[in-house]
Amino acid sequence: MLVGDSQEFDRTIRLHVFQHTADTGVVPQSQDIAAALGHPLDAVEASLRRLAEGRVLVLAPASSSIWMANPFSAVPTDFKVMSRGRTYFGNCIWDALGILALLGADGLVDAVCGDCRESMEVEIRDGALEGEGIVHFAVPARRWWINIGFT
Amino acid sequence: MLLFRSEEHIERWCVRRGLPHGGTMTPGQAWQLARAWYVDKLDVGWRRKTVEEAEAVFAEIGLSGPFWSLR
Repeated sequence: MLVGDSQEFDRTIRLHVFQHTADTGVVPQSQDIAAALGHPLDAVEASLRRLAEGRVLVLAPASSSIWMANPFSAVPTDFKVMSRGRTYFGNCIWDALGILALLGADGLVDAVCGDCRESMEVEIRDGALEGEGIVHFAVPARRWWINIGFT
Repeated sequence: MLLFRSEEHIERWCVRRGLPHGGTMTPGQAWQLARAWYVDKLDVGWRRKTVEEAEAVFAEIGLSGPFWSLR
């Protein structure tokens, strides 16, 4: 595949992953993407690896499974987002709010305190935030991608 | 990036993990950051922000200093 072709292919895969997740709340995996778009599985997996190298999404360690299609998490987390009658999971509080920004919709973030794990809710209503607490970033910005899972 | 009930809870979390206190922001700032970062993620022409663009977003919502530097 030529570079230009792979860029176009990767754009198609990217748009499918994010649009499908926005529409359903479920992050599609390589087999789902291949079936939905009618492309060979190995080509889809190669595209996912390129997208991961470009930090467009994150694959699970030593795997071609999508772990994070930021802001979406493919697995349940402490940052549950409810909007438009669907449930999503964010990778962190920033991403949970990012899901609502991406959807362009109001919604509720059902999170927990990182320390005591008591329930904390943050709501976006009419585009404005209602909620309390403090957001803490443990890792300096320039080191976020050294271990994005911990970040 | 976690949400905490108060500074006291952040301190306790950091001590328990042997980590220094990091950077903080209000939920309102996090919402501003989320909008700036993700509002266009479904666009055909979306691309990752450059270092300069990302730092400009941080500065716009009041995040400055070494902790928020990307270089």
